[in-house]
Amino acid sequence: MLEEIEQAEAHDGYQVKLEVFEGPLDLLLFLIKKKKIDIHDIPIAVITREYLEYLGDKERINLDREAEFLLMAALLIYIKSQMLLPREQPIEPDIDPRKELVDHLVDYQKIKAVSALLREKEDEQSQIWKRSALTAPLPEADLDLIEVSLFDLAESFFTMMKRKQAEKQQVIKGKEISIAAKMNEIIGVLKERTFLDFLEYLGGQETLEEALVAFFCLLELIKARIVIAIQERLFQTIKVWLRRDAPMKVNS
Amino acid sequence: MMDNLKEILEALIFISVEPLTMEKMKEVLQDIPEAEIHQAAEDLAARYASGGCAIRILQTAGGYVFSTKPEYDPYVRRLLQIERKKKLSVQALETLSAVAYHQPVTLAEISAIRSVDSTYALHTLLENKLIKIVGRKEAPGRPLVYRTTEKFLTYFGLNSIEDLPSEEELKKLMEEENA
Repeated sequence: MLEEIEQAEAHDGYQVKLEVFEGPLDLLLFLIKKKKIDIHDIPIAVITREYLEYLGDKERINLDREAEFLLMAALLIYIKSQMLLPREQPIEPDIDPRKELVDHLVDYQKIKAVSALLREKEDEQSQIWKRSALTAPLPEADLDLIEVSLFDLAESFFTMMKRKQAEKQQVIKGKEISIAAKMNEIIGVLKERTFLDFLEYLGGQETLEEALVAFFCLLELIKARIVIAIQERLFQTIKVWLRRDAPMKVNS
Repeated sequence: MMDNLKEILEALIFISVEPLTMEKMKEVLQDIPEAEIHQAAEDLAARYASGGCAIRILQTAGGYVFSTKPEYDPYVRRLLQIERKKKLSVQALETLSAVAYHQPVTLAEISAIRSVDSTYALHTLLENKLIKIVGRKEAPGRPLVYRTTEKFLTYFGLNSIEDLPSEEELKKLMEEENA
């Protein structure tokens, strides 16, 4: 990055875009390096002047992005004023007004060094492939899939309910169905079959009550982003898929 | 010593999509001591590394996993029709480094370390599952607290968080650079 900036400088005088810097600390570190300054003994007047020159050329200030740069400018000027105050004794390191800023800079420098290291690792890793790159149970988005809305699901569900009511089943014994158990059942089925047909699955439930519970479970699972409901084309059946990164089990 | 232990591990690693951990290996190979399994896994990895093979065994996120060697990257990408892998932005990387070294950490703390509002970068990282929310801090506003994930390790090919340079090592590095 350094060369880039230096090139930019050589090219059009002092015009360096602030966008090049990640933030005020990044800019400060750059100036410190450029002036070959010892980070632990920063000549605050020099650095403040340099820093302000970078900000000063701007006609307008974009508050969204540059507020942080301004804040740092204020801090620098404040520190400078503290340094200028006449003192009876020389400044002790502990009460050096620059100390906090220096600590902050050193910390940030570490973060920068680590990110450079992580970037290297990322580059390395980007050239190797593991089998996890292949296991994509979710169809890719470019298949023109439509993620269905709650209304589509509800409509499907009510059609199914009507059909079921028409069957006039006699239910003899009630069965307790817990939502958590049903959810895990659904996840289990999905693990086995990768997807299930929304209507077929609900229709296959023994009782209306159970179908109702299953419906709420599906809604809950969709909300929790454990499954996804997809229609391959309009008016086709709704299919429920397990998301690839879904947790194994639902606790509740 | 089981004489085909290496081959058994080879089969297990081959069939595992996520890094195969020592716990898993011990589960399968119940009566074999850990040291022996470890040795066999290392031998196996060395065998793959020695050449004549386009794949190798990586030790990452505390487990073993097969991967292709870097020189075959262009061909794999052609097969999978992937132009190139997405890389993290500088902000995302800086934010991630801050989380890695200060975890558990809040958004406000990260932003303070960087002197830049890090909301957006943090969300990108969350979406990519490189960091996760691990709770709330007992502080005003009860802010969320973040940590790096297992995927963070596999993404950068790290075996554990200790693979990153320690504070002391970093300090030394900085001093060299500042000198």
